[in-house]
Amino acid sequence: MRIAVCMKQVPAYSEGNMDERTGLLIRSGLETAVNVYDLAALETALRIKETAGGTVAVFTMGPAGAESVLREAYAYGADQGVLICDRAFGGADVLATSYTLMQAIKTQGSYDLILCGKQTTDGDTAQVSGALAKWLEIPHFTEVSAVSVTGEKRFCITQTFERQKLVWDIAVPCLLAVQRHIWPVRMPSLKLRMAGKKKMITELGIDKFEDQDVGHYGLKGSATQVKRIFPPKRTSRGSVMSMEGPAAAIYILRTIEAIQGVKEEGAWS
Amino acid sequence: MERQLILPMEEKYREYLIDESKFSGEADSISFPATQDEVIIIVNEMRKKQSRITIQSGKTGIAGGAVPKGGHIMNLSELKGYIDSGIFDDGTAFITVEAGMNLMELNREISRRFKRHQYFWPPQPTEVSAAVGGILASGAKGINSSYYGDSRQYVQRLRMVTADGGVLELERGADHEELDMILGGEGLTGVITAATLKLVPKPECVWGISFFFENRTDAGLFAERLKECSRTAGAHIEAAEYLDRTAIDLIEQRKETMTKIKELPDVPAGINGMVYLEIAGEEAAVEEMAGALMEEADECGSDSDQAWAVLGDTEIEKMQAFRHAAAETANLLIEEVRRADGRIRKLGTDMALVGRSFGETLKIYRDDIEKAGLKASIFGHIMNNHLHVNILPEDYQQYIRGCNLIDRWTQEYAFGDNCLAVEHGIGKLKNHLVDLILTKDQQDRIRRMKERYDPQGMWNQGNIFKEGR
Repeated sequence: MRIAVCMKQVPAYSEGNMDERTGLLIRSGLETAVNVYDLAALETALRIKETAGGTVAVFTMGPAGAESVLREAYAYGADQGVLICDRAFGGADVLATSYTLMQAIKTQGSYDLILCGKQTTDGDTAQVSGALAKWLEIPHFTEVSAVSVTGEKRFCITQTFERQKLVWDIAVPCLLAVQRHIWPVRMPSLKLRMAGKKKMITELGIDKFEDQDVGHYGLKGSATQVKRIFPPKRTSRGSVMSMEGPAAAIYILRTIEAIQGVKEEGAWS
Repeated sequence: MERQLILPMEEKYREYLIDESKFSGEADSISFPATQDEVIIIVNEMRKKQSRITIQSGKTGIAGGAVPKGGHIMNLSELKGYIDSGIFDDGTAFITVEAGMNLMELNREISRRFKRHQYFWPPQPTEVSAAVGGILASGAKGINSSYYGDSRQYVQRLRMVTADGGVLELERGADHEELDMILGGEGLTGVITAATLKLVPKPECVWGISFFFENRTDAGLFAERLKECSRTAGAHIEAAEYLDRTAIDLIEQRKETMTKIKELPDVPAGINGMVYLEIAGEEAAVEEMAGALMEEADECGSDSDQAWAVLGDTEIEKMQAFRHAAAETANLLIEEVRRADGRIRKLGTDMALVGRSFGETLKIYRDDIEKAGLKASIFGHIMNNHLHVNILPEDYQQYIRGCNLIDRWTQEYAFGDNCLAVEHGIGKLKNHLVDLILTKDQQDRIRRMKERYDPQGMWNQGNIFKEGR
């Protein structure tokens, strides 16, 4: 089975400023990490490979430094790493990112299964996987909380929503966007990390794509633009109370009433 | 309205009567000064009342140093401002902060102030809620101390309020000797209010590697070999830590509740010893050293297919949190037992034994614990045979047997270059062993300092010396 996993390099902490002109996050100087949701996607891919056989290719889009995501993926057990890197891809929104990923994936042939994390910790849109599936014209399942191999290229998957759980029997090709805790993610292996240092990385620029129209990529190919990024205002330090359960419960209720100003006479007595 | 600085002890301040040692005390009043001026006002007031003061900051100490024995508690958790920072000509840097700033806040402040060049303060105890003042007063070190050396050298200047309400400023160079006496002096001479800390550049690359061993003897053998290959051209072992199976089990039983480590997978069953290393230096050299160590570990019976290797501050911090959880979970277990019997306190060693191999040291501890019919988690620093043996009593009888065992070890190893209280301090839990832990000359020097700065005995009664001594 040929499995592709999309992974992204993100800032390790939610600090940093926005470029006022472009509306983009200034990433230079920030410590980076692999998007944790994507590690769950990689873990899912590796478990499927261990059960059903096949190969796992990881695609990442970003500056040259994003190569570290692929080296990291090798340390977990990925077979191939593909770096999608070109100045033309900078500043992409959901539409342009998903289109770029689709073009990149197509250069490597067809995949049975494509896995994504359900969202990233920087953009947080949770829309790229759906858009990618649409471009590839394959079924898309998001919020996937369980996957098991049931037969030759067949899976039983569970989608967990706030009030609903859906279980599906599905066949490839398809795209699954997995939840963060679908599996406990294994630790990167020393041996694989050492071997991964010597492994080749496939680099893709716009010149390798079927569609080489720069107007379809990056800022130019984006339908949306971020107006402003700002950290949430810090709330002032609250008071810490220590009291017995029943007294604490009454105290909390009274506090909520005071905030809401909706106390009905005798309602809580 | 003027802030009330001295508050009477009430039920809501109960948590300030105990620290991580699970030893508890009593006090009449408490204060939370937010400025040095407030510290001085409180000191002057307490002097008038002839009241003793116990200094607290993070309350993370495990020798009872912050536990009050009556009198007043001065808690420095509100005194945690940034003062200044800069870069020295030799490429090192400094940051001046108030004493109540904790390690996590300090690290954040350092990254905020030095954006272009990355620096850090080498004394890095794994307990990141430990405050700077407490680290300096107790002489706490951290997992990289065998590489970076004595933590005192990373303190450039400090400010201390003395019993007469005066402010003493000491600087490395001019006041070298006095400064070094106050560092690690357990707050017997006054309250440290601010310190200028010397920072060093972060290594270009750090790998955090975990090797696993089914056999404890194999783990000991590998640990011993590390001492011979701790440095190559361009790379060095910055930290080398050991955890036994009991320590690993305690962590795994509770890691669900520990944010940083709850997502780490379980250590495989059948593993009886774990060695965690941090290798730092130039990237290529680090990689080469990691390869060489992998071969060594293989030869010592570790399955290198199982070895973990993490990179980057965030992932390394997770592994450090895992290592720290060894201490934290032992303390939590003691807290549970203490709730059933208030006489029980933390029972842990802090001894670095020289002239023995790591494996031998481990075996001696293990055999003695088994002979005494006790359970213990063992973890600690490989390079200087500095193991923290945490005895885990189930009841008071076992607690007493554990106390006797630790006292016996202290007596047996009180010779030569062995160090019997490396980084936890003596505090109040080990003050009955002071004659074994410190030489007469060391005790005399501390007493002379005490006499000079605190003749009335205002500060931290019971730390190092039993009351009345």
